[in-house]
Amino acid sequence: MTRFQKAIQLLLNYSTVVLFLVVLVTFGLLSPKFLTLGNITNILIQSSSLTILAIGMTFVLLTAGIDLSVGSIMFVVGVISGKLVVIGLPIWWAIPLVLVIGLLFGLVNAFFIFKLKIVPFIVTLATFYVGRGLGLYISETRAINLPESFLQIGSSKLLGLPMPIVILLLVLIIGHFVLSSTQFGRQVYAVGNDMAKARKAGVPVKKILLTVYLICGLCAAISSLVALAQLGAVSPTFGYQNEFMAIAAAVLGGTSLFGGKGNILPGTLIGALLIQSIQNGLVIINVNPYIYPVITGTVIFLIVMIDSLRHKSVQKALRTKTTI
Amino acid sequence: MIESTANKLLGKSENTTVYVCVLYYFIMAIFVPGFFTIHNSWNLLFNLLPLLIVAIGQTYVMLGAGIDLSVTSIVAMTSIIGGYCLSDITAFIEPVWLRIVFSLGAMLLTGALIGLINGVSVAKLGMPAFMVTLTTMMLFSGTAIWLTRSQNSYMLPESFVNMPYTSLWFIPLPLLIGLVVVGIAYFLLNNTLYGEWLPSVGMNSKTAAISGVKVQSTTIWSYIICGCCAAVASILYTARLETGSPVMGQHILLDVIGSVVIGGTSLFGGVGKIQWTVIGAVFIIMLDNSLNLMGMSYFLIMIIKGLVILLAAMMNLLKEGKY
Amino acid sequence: MLLQLKNIKKSFGKVEVLKGITFSLDEGMILGLIGENGAGKSTMMNLLGGIFPPTAGEMFLNGETYLPNSPIAAQSKGVAFIHQELNLFPNLSIAENLFINQFPKKRFFGVSRIDKKTINVKAKELLGQVGLTMDPNKKVEELSPAPRQLVEIAKALGANPKIIIFDEPTTSLSHHEAKKLFELIKKLKAQGIAMIYISHNLDDVLKLVDSVAILRDGELVRMDEKKSFDIQTMVKEMVGREMLEFFPGRMKKIGKKVLEVENLTAKGFIKDVTFHIKKQEVVGFYGLVGAGRSEMVRVLYGLDRFDSGSIVWKGELIDKTNPVLSIQRGIAFLTEDRIEEGLLTRMNIQKNAQLAALGHFTKGLLHRINRFEAKEKVKEKVYATKTKYENLTEQLVSTLSGGNQQKIVLAKWLLTDPELLILDEPTKGIDIGAKREIYGLINNLVENGSSVLMISSELEELMGLCDRIIVMSKGKITASFDKSQFERNTILEVALHKQTAIL
Repeated sequence: MTRFQKAIQLLLNYSTVVLFLVVLVTFGLLSPKFLTLGNITNILIQSSSLTILAIGMTFVLLTAGIDLSVGSIMFVVGVISGKLVVIGLPIWWAIPLVLVIGLLFGLVNAFFIFKLKIVPFIVTLATFYVGRGLGLYISETRAINLPESFLQIGSSKLLGLPMPIVILLLVLIIGHFVLSSTQFGRQVYAVGNDMAKARKAGVPVKKILLTVYLICGLCAAISSLVALAQLGAVSPTFGYQNEFMAIAAAVLGGTSLFGGKGNILPGTLIGALLIQSIQNGLVIINVNPYIYPVITGTVIFLIVMIDSLRHKSVQKALRTKTTI
Repeated sequence: MIESTANKLLGKSENTTVYVCVLYYFIMAIFVPGFFTIHNSWNLLFNLLPLLIVAIGQTYVMLGAGIDLSVTSIVAMTSIIGGYCLSDITAFIEPVWLRIVFSLGAMLLTGALIGLINGVSVAKLGMPAFMVTLTTMMLFSGTAIWLTRSQNSYMLPESFVNMPYTSLWFIPLPLLIGLVVVGIAYFLLNNTLYGEWLPSVGMNSKTAAISGVKVQSTTIWSYIICGCCAAVASILYTARLETGSPVMGQHILLDVIGSVVIGGTSLFGGVGKIQWTVIGAVFIIMLDNSLNLMGMSYFLIMIIKGLVILLAAMMNLLKEGKY
Repeated sequence: MLLQLKNIKKSFGKVEVLKGITFSLDEGMILGLIGENGAGKSTMMNLLGGIFPPTAGEMFLNGETYLPNSPIAAQSKGVAFIHQELNLFPNLSIAENLFINQFPKKRFFGVSRIDKKTINVKAKELLGQVGLTMDPNKKVEELSPAPRQLVEIAKALGANPKIIIFDEPTTSLSHHEAKKLFELIKKLKAQGIAMIYISHNLDDVLKLVDSVAILRDGELVRMDEKKSFDIQTMVKEMVGREMLEFFPGRMKKIGKKVLEVENLTAKGFIKDVTFHIKKQEVVGFYGLVGAGRSEMVRVLYGLDRFDSGSIVWKGELIDKTNPVLSIQRGIAFLTEDRIEEGLLTRMNIQKNAQLAALGHFTKGLLHRINRFEAKEKVKEKVYATKTKYENLTEQLVSTLSGGNQQKIVLAKWLLTDPELLILDEPTKGIDIGAKREIYGLINNLVENGSSVLMISSELEELMGLCDRIIVMSKGKITASFDKSQFERNTILEVALHKQTAIL
């Protein structure tokens, strides 16, 4: 390999990181406000909801599954917690209650997937619509404004860190620990690689599938609360298409849609930060809002493309190694 | 034991859904007022046609073990292109029919082009179909909204807007278009080399490639066909709603995938038929229409449709003896 | 007596697969289990391995009733099963694979986490037992087939087994690697572990085992000490009849060169490969796994690219090659991996058989298919291959036995009227009856004017069928033998010692 080829290979291997840096530098050059501490904190706060959602999604993707219903879970959780708080239930009662709702959605998804053996894509597409319909039904398609106390939680600080970042860090650390240092975490990778083999090896496949969908539902509920604490209201489009953003974040971070490959730290975190930085940067440099989805879509497309090209070249290299 | 009883009860996969469909039709005809009327029958038909056409394109992609989530954005994108081409900008083109032909051509070309992008990304670059079409969906629905600043274009020529109500040989034009699409799709899949190649690529692309099947172009064509089908559906939608809209077809993804899955086409590729999808689409439309007539709200219908698709997926597995 | 089976029966639906098997196994004993495909070997081993329970009969392990309800239950009782298809997760490390189900853990603020240090130590210990010295943190995907096999055995040893079942362990190993495996098996035997060894390679069985059990049609037809068997008697008991003329002869009239390959090089795979094949000639390729034989034919067929060299087909220089062109030229390629590269398992026999020759049955701009003609032609060829089937257009090809599936793949290629048929391990994992029929088909094809290039790991097969045997090693051709020079030991030696180039 020539030096040039090696450089290209290196670039391909760290494409997401490279692109992340490119995005940071570009926006930094376009606007002096972008790379300030205040704005970077802002990006972190704004990305907390998406990152938490994407962490749950990573667990599911690692088992070669998919969860299209997370955006709808966010919506239902948002609507119900809004209703509960508006009728006067204390916030600290409402929060555990709606977390259970997230778990329930995960349970329903898991039940259809491992008990009735329906492909995750179809199950969660159905619960996507059921959830959205349910949320619209409960909210009567009206926006719900939350009391001031909710927003206060969002802007409160713990140990000098804004609350959303604290929650993000907690979920991040726990998620990473579970995935890399527990038997369950390693078995998730085994199930994602080959479910039949995992069953033969005595891995409790059903328990693992159930757990990952529960984790995903729970993360969606937490993500919903974190977003609520920042927005202060639930609109009928709350959480809409967030499932796609979460999948994109995980995939940008190197998680394979075919299971068994990927990680939360640094993978999913960088993927989510990348998406959020682009959105934030576009706002700061005052781009026409109609263009946002076009640019975000293009970036995601490019990274998935680079990832596929990298995959191809790795495959080639591996073949050379094994034969001679 | 359970399997064999189930098989006896359900019969062959093609027949079951037909029975359910017919049964449902009669029950609704008896119990739901306003269902079994001429007006509603036309309504059913006109709702069915564009959905069916999109679902047929999706069937092709799924036969090749792919998926096209971008169909909704193709409908939107072609709709605004059509709206643009049919508006006053092209008024200099005379006569009107030439203008319409030109515009419809532009719409089909747009659909084919997006399909080509999807297909090349999947087949040549080896990107996962789900991610490719997810991003093209975001990209093109975003582009459609951006180009039009969320505005609809009205002022389409009379003769285009009247298309749904025009007849040729006593057959309404939309129905004729639908029949032609179904006919071509059926012929291509059942009588030609491509029809043999596509499922074989979907089932096992390695075996297919070694056996001399042109795997890449087969896959690419399936996405192009899907794009064209979405464009044809967009023509019907645009004519009926008398407007080129960037949010056209935004909500049909569930119905499209539902039609294909209820019909019984496999999500893993290689197994599926056009006639299955026809039945699936008929069922989805009947369900939608009857629930509407019963006075159910949009969201309740959404919930019920979701559940029905789950049920259909379960039935398919039951028939394959997976339980 | 370690293991005892009494009148074990197993039925699937109405089909009785095992019809009352009785035998026993002692400590430190190696039992060779042989039989044609479909004789019931796998079913019996699956019963022992806990995949499913018997319909009737009793099993005893150490005098206690043994009725495992899962592979894990079997393992905890001391019965380990090394499947032909290894049960490893390539995306995990060696150590993680070894402990996937019982990671050593330690408490960390009340949370149980994986104890990485202990795992490393324990993994090294287990790997040492099978003679592997690599880092246990290496990912399995970076290993070649032989060490993977050893990792699987190490995994089994981790559960302190009393019995290990090997199902065709040598199919993906080279001669040298297989030899090392046998040494390991003998070492385990010395430790008192009993083993059941299933293989189609009867030579290996005779070399390795203490006793031989022969299954035929779900019955144990004979079980005896090794010394009362030789290859002939084993074959006879397996098929239930004498197998005269295992390799049928053919009329010899070798013609002009059809394929000339010169200095063919694909970087990293093959280097300077030069050979030719004449009309109506059968040329065999022998060598270790990874010697570059499969890679070479893949390049020839146009699945992979080559960097330099030339391929001349019937006097014409070929500059571009891919499967579509190859089929047009009259070259066919039966691949080694039948399921992944040869069949459309969820389709019927007709669709499978017609796939490569579809072009013959189409006409017009739209390539309309003449179904009637396609069906007649397929029927003809499938009949010629003596495939046992029920319905061409209704029956899924996955319902056929391995041998019959292979015949369908062969029929697919015969339908293209090939002038050169490339066969990569055509009889791998196939029973003796089907093997013989495939040999007959090859001879038939050659007598009718075609040529054959055949890769096989069974030297007897090549010696029986080929006019010439070419040996490859490390991507290069190292020797070539004419039929008159065929001698088992010489060929083996050349294949094993890379530097003794005769050419």
